[in-house]
Amino acid sequence: MSDPIRGQTAICGLGITEMGKVYGHDASWFAGESIRLAVEDAGLDKDDIDGLLVNPGITGMMGTGISIPLQGYLGLRNLRLLNHMNSYGATASAMVQYAAFAVHHGMANYVACIFSDAPLQQGGSAGAAYGGAGRRGPTGMASLMPAFGFYGANTSYALAARRYMERYGVTNNDLGRVSVTQRRYAVDNPHATMRQPLTLEDYHNSRWIVEPFHLLDCCLVSNGAVCTIVTTAERARDLKSSPAYIWGMGQGHPGNFPHAEVEVGTTSGATIAGETAYKMAGVGPEDVDICEFYDCYTYTVLRTIEDYGLAKPGEAIGLYPEDPADPEAELPRINTGGGQLSSYYMWGMTPISEGVIQARGSGGDRQIEKNDIVLCSGNGGTLDTHGTLILSPNAN
Amino acid sequence: MAYDKPLPNPDENTQPFFDGLKDHKLLLQYFPSADHYQYPYSDRCYKDWSTDWEWRESAGNGEVYTWVRMHQLYHPSWKAEIPYTLAVVQLDEGPRMHTNLVNVPVEDVHVGMRVKVHFDDVTDEVTLPKFEPA
Repeated sequence: MSDPIRGQTAICGLGITEMGKVYGHDASWFAGESIRLAVEDAGLDKDDIDGLLVNPGITGMMGTGISIPLQGYLGLRNLRLLNHMNSYGATASAMVQYAAFAVHHGMANYVACIFSDAPLQQGGSAGAAYGGAGRRGPTGMASLMPAFGFYGANTSYALAARRYMERYGVTNNDLGRVSVTQRRYAVDNPHATMRQPLTLEDYHNSRWIVEPFHLLDCCLVSNGAVCTIVTTAERARDLKSSPAYIWGMGQGHPGNFPHAEVEVGTTSGATIAGETAYKMAGVGPEDVDICEFYDCYTYTVLRTIEDYGLAKPGEAIGLYPEDPADPEAELPRINTGGGQLSSYYMWGMTPISEGVIQARGSGGDRQIEKNDIVLCSGNGGTLDTHGTLILSPNAN
Repeated sequence: MAYDKPLPNPDENTQPFFDGLKDHKLLLQYFPSADHYQYPYSDRCYKDWSTDWEWRESAGNGEVYTWVRMHQLYHPSWKAEIPYTLAVVQLDEGPRMHTNLVNVPVEDVHVGMRVKVHFDDVTDEVTLPKFEPA
């Protein structure tokens, strides 16, 4: 039994800016480009936009991210819905969900949901952008972290990955199979930053960041923006581009409790978020055709596959070929645009943007033929927050 | 050579914890109403929202919950150490602590390894709670 809202709302416009080392522009500029592209894609006019939801990415934490003033910058004078949202990497799903409920109940007609970020500076490293360099030092017990040598998100995820790997006997070569698979998809994605093919040998030769993570286990850092426009199914039907209908929505937020009573590393919020979204959509794991999963690290993909019930705990790697670089190897239909590892890192908008492309059938050489059910995930913190969207080319 | 790595920066609430380390005692917050040990510091028990608590000394025993080898240099003072081993230790009282493992070759480190606290007097004023094989 699905929920009556299944298929009643849709993503009708998608705007993806140039991605990666694109310098000389701030996050507002990228946001402006993304909404311009999305409005054009939907065949709308600027004045049709009456809802704006924003997620500023890492520049939001550095004080230069987009927020409510974006309305003024974009000259949006008809807003009936406006918010700056943040549940880290789960925000993009949450924005689309909030927008879907709003348009379904007449609070707005066309809601632009924008993720925009510009952390990369010419001459600076991705590590400098995300490692906390230049931020004020912590006090109290948190100040023990740099005293012990803990820095950055890479370390937190590497800790989670190690526990998972030792528990289930997952190896670095297994993580490499995820990395190489996604690069094969990125080769055919014109939006992707990293398009040269990879081998498992390349993976093993890439430098260690925080063992068990090589460089090629870690996502990119990108400047750019993605805008999705959400409207009702009825309105979406007659617009310029094919709609990606929203079938299921869910969230699950286990949080972060450093205590024996809470397991970290071998669980995520996908279990609860997925259950909620499957129920709304009236589908189950066996119905999923394509997965677009938040892949800040290779490990995150394996964890997510299992928490959505697509493989038993510890067995997600079984969905991947032994050598994904082999042209004969059949690739799992997971992260079909290359994901955050190889295409672009727009937090939760990376999986949603590729999900819309696949649901529309506009994936070109990387398009998956059977695309009825597209499962998209968002994940934030260190597996602390999670959002799910189930998209479909079919209204019902 | 003088110790040049980042040093902890106690605040009013956590000063007793850092003073305890100097006396080679690992102090944890204990909230009696929920019979709950909590770390890191909070002014409220997350189990029952009680604000009544006291410092209690931990026995300092636990096991490795997870661990990594840090290869990336984020602060110049770690250059000679890289790669170094970082761990999360699950204390027998319940809380998990981020820490360093010492006195153990990396080949022997694994999830579930029993460890005990090792107080490392890194300067005359500062002691860090590291862990070693039990």
